Amino acid sequence: MPDRSRDLERLADLLVGFGANVQPGQIVAITAYHEMAEAARAVARASYRHGARYVDVFWWDMLVKRARLELAEAETLEYVPPWIGERLRWLGEEGAARIALTGSDSTIFDGVDPSRMGRDLLPYVEEVPVLVNERTTNWTIGPCPNPDWAQRVHPDLEPADALERLWEEIVHVCRLDSNDPVAAWRERMRAIVASADQMSERRFDAIHLSGPGTDLTVGLLPSHRWLGADFTTVDGRTHYPNIPTEEIFTTPDPERVDGQVSATMPLEVYGSVMSGIRIAFEGGRATKVEADEGAEALRSIVAKEGADRLGEIALVDGEGRIGPLGTVFYETLLDENAASHIALGNAYTFPLEDETDQARANRSAVHVDFMIGSPQVDVDGITTDGDRVPVLRGGSWQI
Amino acid sequence: MNGAGLTEAERFAELVVEVGANVQEGQDVELLAHFGTEDAVRAVAGAAYRRGARYVDVWWWDALVKRERLLHARPETLNYVPPEPGARLLRLGEERGCRVWIVGNPHPKALEGIDPERASRDLLPRLKESTEVVMAQTTNWCIASWPTRGWAEQVFPDLDPDAAFERLRRELAHVTRLDEADPAAAWRARVAELKAAAAKLNERRFDALRFLGPGTDLTVGLFRSSMWRAGSFERVDGVESVVNLPTEEVFTTPDPDRVDGVVRSTKPLEYAGSLIEGITVRFEGGRAVELDATTNADVFRAIAAKDEGAARLGEVALVDGSGRIDALGTVFWNTLLDENAASHIALGGSYDFVVEDEAERARANQSQIHVDFMIGSPEVVVDGLSEDGETVPVLRRGVWQI
Repeated sequence: MPDRSRDLERLADLLVGFGANVQPGQIVAITAYHEMAEAARAVARASYRHGARYVDVFWWDMLVKRARLELAEAETLEYVPPWIGERLRWLGEEGAARIALTGSDSTIFDGVDPSRMGRDLLPYVEEVPVLVNERTTNWTIGPCPNPDWAQRVHPDLEPADALERLWEEIVHVCRLDSNDPVAAWRERMRAIVASADQMSERRFDAIHLSGPGTDLTVGLLPSHRWLGADFTTVDGRTHYPNIPTEEIFTTPDPERVDGQVSATMPLEVYGSVMSGIRIAFEGGRATKVEADEGAEALRSIVAKEGADRLGEIALVDGEGRIGPLGTVFYETLLDENAASHIALGNAYTFPLEDETDQARANRSAVHVDFMIGSPQVDVDGITTDGDRVPVLRGGSWQI
Repeated sequence: MNGAGLTEAERFAELVVEVGANVQEGQDVELLAHFGTEDAVRAVAGAAYRRGARYVDVWWWDALVKRERLLHARPETLNYVPPEPGARLLRLGEERGCRVWIVGNPHPKALEGIDPERASRDLLPRLKESTEVVMAQTTNWCIASWPTRGWAEQVFPDLDPDAAFERLRRELAHVTRLDEADPAAAWRARVAELKAAAAKLNERRFDALRFLGPGTDLTVGLFRSSMWRAGSFERVDGVESVVNLPTEEVFTTPDPDRVDGVVRSTKPLEYAGSLIEGITVRFEGGRAVELDATTNADVFRAIAAKDEGAARLGEVALVDGSGRIDALGTVFWNTLLDENAASHIALGGSYDFVVEDEAERARANQSQIHVDFMIGSPEVVVDGLSEDGETVPVLRRGVWQI
């Protein structure tokens, strides 16, 4: 098995120097699964080299969580230790940098009673979205190859080969195979932001998607803007919340979605795999939900308040590196950047400039992205005059 | 070693949770653990949940992340301690929570090549709040040891790595009495023996102890109301825990103003990742006025300079030869085990609750540190000095004389 320590260093440097954009003197909080020790140490090293004041690692051990899910008294499962939220508030007050490493094998919870699982959402705590909205921390999420995740993604390969394949894919999609990954990302982000700006200037009234099993119109709100995933903190630190990122996204009108759509990739939500998803929308509402696999689980999610309407539409062009691999990573960070997608459930309000539009954005406790784009799916913009303007053809921008 | 179908980790976990920490129904358990002790950590978490714990909070500690800090962070930042772990401990105390610390440093060389002055500035994962919580007796707690490969190579450098791990595993199982059919019963019996020795020392009410051996001639004054204690601690509300597994010591709190003479350590000391060997200290009127060591003397002096109380004694403990640790002849490079191998003294904070008289308790030593180092061996004679000047043999070649 090839030595990946150099790639790990490059990945860590990318997350620290570009993704989170760690500043001298900052506290850096790392979230890592227990099996990601080497990667967390590499990120700590890179952070200190960038002048971090202190690197605080929040380790999460799925097997300790599994012990709780199996053995703890049912009425204690909703208990959340207060320090986890207090630590996040401390990070906000400190104006800290945050780096999360993802890539886990959710089959670790196979056989656990789903009703018990639903009561313990740790390590997720309600302070996370609060912190994101306050924009006090510069943060990023990046993938971390590890044997368990590799086996989940490539179950037909021997463990060593699966890990090696996953590493090859991560190196490629994170552009670590460029001479200067940071320069490669700056260039890619310029292109993404330029596409977003062009789309924003058009002020389309709606987006229309057509392809095999898909004929869907998604209405947009008058003051919508398309954004790339580059964020800025309240005090002006730029950061890139997702490495890799390939999407431009906006918040749709939750009342004006009509037609039918077929997912182009399987997805995993709360431990359930769903494939062959087909949804019909009328007046914004998902009126018919079908799937070849996981239909019941999907319907139970759609039944939650606000989860039957759209909170996001995102476009990914063919220059993105994830989609062409054809790999399902069972990890939203990667899978949602593989193809154009829509999300059922909660919306970001910041892509909407008017308060009246913001008030109309969809609200829900859930946010489930699913992929609906492919080179076979044409994307058009529809103007307020009803004109149809090509946006994506065969995965290439037309605007 | 399988008994009743349980793995060794599960037997260890049962012992730690039931006899050691004595986890109570509905409690939160904070578990501090090193990477490399996963089997034990997950088994302890499971055993605690079976006993009705509300939440088991594992604070994983990675010595290699700390190494990155000591190598690369700016010097002026090394004293920084994040506020959250300390606040979490104090809250755990307020809520009468439980603490378990599994020791078994898998990376004993994590601080190799680090400037000792830098190393002495960062004592994490030690926190001043953990001393506060111990002194306030607000938690039931236990420190127990579990083998890791890195630790095994440190303890048995001449064996090949597999043999070293197997030897350490066997020795820890022996000293933790997991090789007994009923480890819990074995510990209850041993704790009773230790408490009996403490009771005899308490009857004598010695004014001072004198240690005499190679490089050592030290007199340690005791308070009139210093009580000898052993085996288990009680939380303020009476919940009992055997705070060290293994435990072999009988200890009390000395008079911090009446310690005189010279002392030489008989075993190495591991402190926050640094190994300190060949310690010599001269005390005058209770204060350590000369401190030296053959390795990491700077770290040792920095410890004693941490605050006013760090240069005075907070504990004196006697260990007889019937314990299981010293008989192995192994240096574990780990205070939990090594301090239970031999009589020892500690610089820094004291367990003031073992001093009965209030006026004397107010004089017990205070410090944010508590560092034990070993001064006993079969060659070191221990005598008790009574108030009227009589000298009474206490330990001779490791055997109680009282």
